[in-house]
Amino acid sequence: MTRGGWLRWGSLAAAALVFAGLYVRNLALPSSGGFAPAQAARAASPAAPLYGAELLPNSTAASVHSATAAEISGGRLRAFWYGGSREGAPDVAIYSSLYSPKEGTWSPERVVMTREIAQRQLRRYVRKLGNPVAGRDRGGRLCLFFVSVSVGGWAGSAVNLMVSEDEGETWGPPRRLVASPFFNISTLVKGPPLQFAGAETGLPVYHEFLGKFGELLRLDQLGRVIRKTRLSWGQSSLQPVIVPRSEAEAVGFMRYAGDPPNRILMIRTSDGGAHWSAPVKTALPNPNAAIASALLADGRLLLAFNNAGENREDLSLAISEDFGDTWRVVRRLEGDPGSPGAPVAEYSYPWIVQDRAGEIHVLYTWGRSRIKHVHFNTAWLEERR
Amino acid sequence: MSASDAFGLFGCGVLGLAVVATLIPLRRLPAGARYVVMLAAAFALFIPFGDLPAAAYLRGVTGDVSVTTLVLAGCACIARLTGKALIEPRERQVLYQLLALAALFLYPFALGWTPFDPYSLGYGSIGLVTVLLMVTLAAWRAKLYVIVFIVIAAALAYLAGAYESRNLWDYLIDPLVSVYALIRLLSGLRHRLSGKVTQPAG
Repeated sequence: MTRGGWLRWGSLAAAALVFAGLYVRNLALPSSGGFAPAQAARAASPAAPLYGAELLPNSTAASVHSATAAEISGGRLRAFWYGGSREGAPDVAIYSSLYSPKEGTWSPERVVMTREIAQRQLRRYVRKLGNPVAGRDRGGRLCLFFVSVSVGGWAGSAVNLMVSEDEGETWGPPRRLVASPFFNISTLVKGPPLQFAGAETGLPVYHEFLGKFGELLRLDQLGRVIRKTRLSWGQSSLQPVIVPRSEAEAVGFMRYAGDPPNRILMIRTSDGGAHWSAPVKTALPNPNAAIASALLADGRLLLAFNNAGENREDLSLAISEDFGDTWRVVRRLEGDPGSPGAPVAEYSYPWIVQDRAGEIHVLYTWGRSRIKHVHFNTAWLEERR
Repeated sequence: MSASDAFGLFGCGVLGLAVVATLIPLRRLPAGARYVVMLAAAFALFIPFGDLPAAAYLRGVTGDVSVTTLVLAGCACIARLTGKALIEPRERQVLYQLLALAALFLYPFALGWTPFDPYSLGYGSIGLVTVLLMVTLAAWRAKLYVIVFIVIAAALAYLAGAYESRNLWDYLIDPLVSVYALIRLLSGLRHRLSGKVTQPAG
C-alpha cells in the first residue's frame, strides 16, 4: 500500500475505533437518578423553647463573609468562611472553626486555604478566593467547595473542591470543577450540595458573566462534573438553594438581581431535577441578597432571608407548611429597633443546618466584621411573643 | 502532579511557545539559533520561578486549551522552526469554518440567554457524537486528514480523561481558537473583497 493509502485507510480505522469508544462511553453513562432520601429522622425537639447565639472567633481579618457549615461526628458543627483585609483582597483566606454543642463554644479559627496554597495545588495562577460551601459527598466525606478567581472580578470565578477523610482536620488537594466552556470562568457557589440516588453529588452554582443564571451540577465520586441542568436563564437570578423532599420533588430559591419588585425567586422540579419550572417571584422580598433554606425534620420549609426590598438590615426567618406556596414570617434575627447591632448594619449570607438532634443552626455575616451563629429549636420558632 | 495538571500545563506551554514563535521573527535567524530560541522559551515556560512556571500563569487565564488549539499551536511552532507549513491552506480554511460554526452554536447559548444549553450535550449525547462522526467522515472523504487527526486526538484525550473536564466540547474547541478562526476567516474575506474591488474591469 502506498503512503497515501496508509494515511487514508489508517485514519479511517483510527476514527472508527475512537468513535466506537465515544458511543460506548455515551451508552454506558448511568441514567440520572432522582434525589437521595433525606437523612434518618431526627429526634423530636423538646417542647421548651431553646435559643442561643455566639459570634465566631476572628482574631485577624478586618472583613469576613459567606459562612457555611456542616454537622460532623459527635454532633459538632464545622464552619467555614472567608476573611481578609477586604472582600477580594489577595490576603483573603478561608477559615474554619469547630462548634462543640456540649460546651457551647467555638474553637479558635484556623486557616484551611489561602490564595498561595490554592495556586500551588491547582497548578495555575490564583488572584483571590471567595465563597466557601461545605457539605457531604455521596460517600459521606466532608467536602469544601470554594470560589477562586485568576483574572478580573467575581465574574471571572471558578469553583474548586477539596475533600476531607477526617471530618475537616486535614484536606486533600483541591481540584478544579469545569462547568463553563468560556475559559471555565464565571461559576460560583453559595447553596449547599445535595445528594442523588446514584453515586452523584449535586451542586447548585450560578454564573455572572454577561448573564446571571443558575445551574445544577452533578459530580461523580471523583468530584468531576459529569452533567448539568440549567435552573434559570437571563440576567437576574443567582445563588440557587435547592431543597429536595422526595426522590422526584424539590424546590429551589434564588436571589433576584432584576427590576423591581424585588422578590425571592422560586423554582420547582417533579422529576428528580431533570427539568425545572421557570422562576416565579414569591411574596417574600429580596434586596439582591443571598437566601438559605432547609427542610425541617417535621416536613416544613425554613427560610432565612433579608426581609426588605432595598437593604440587608433585617434578617428574618419564615416557615412554609406547603413546601413553598405560602410563607409566614416567624422570627426576626436582626434588625429589631433598639437592639444592639453591628457597627455596619448588614446581616447577610445566611446558612442553615438542622443537626441530627433536631436543633437548627443559622450562621450569617454580622456587619462584615464577624460571623454570627444562632441556634434554636422549633419550639422557639413558634413561641408566642 | 496529577496527569490532568501535567497535560493542562503542557497545552498552555505549547500555546505560549506558539505565541513566542509568532512574535519573534524566527525565519530571519539561522536554523540553529531558531532551536536555541525555542528551547530557551520552553525553559522559561515550563521551569517554575517561585511557586509556578510561566505556563501556569497562562493556564490561570485561559484554563486548559482544547486539543485543536494544541495541534494548531504545535503546527505553528514547527512551521516557524522549519519554514514548512504542515496544514494546507484549503484544509486550514475548512477547519476555521468548522470552528466558527461550532463557536456560534456553543458560546452564545452558554451565556445563559436561553434555557437551551448546548454545552451540557458535551457531557454525554449520542446526537453530538453522531454529528461529530458525520463531520469527520465528510473531512475524510474530502481528504482533509488534519481535521480527522484533530478529532481523533481530541476524542482519545477525552476518553482518557486527559483534562480536568469531562465535557467533550472542552477537548474540541475553546474561545481562543474560536476567536482566532473567526479573525482568520474575516481577514480572508476582507482580502477577497478588496481583491475583487481592485481587479481591473473586463
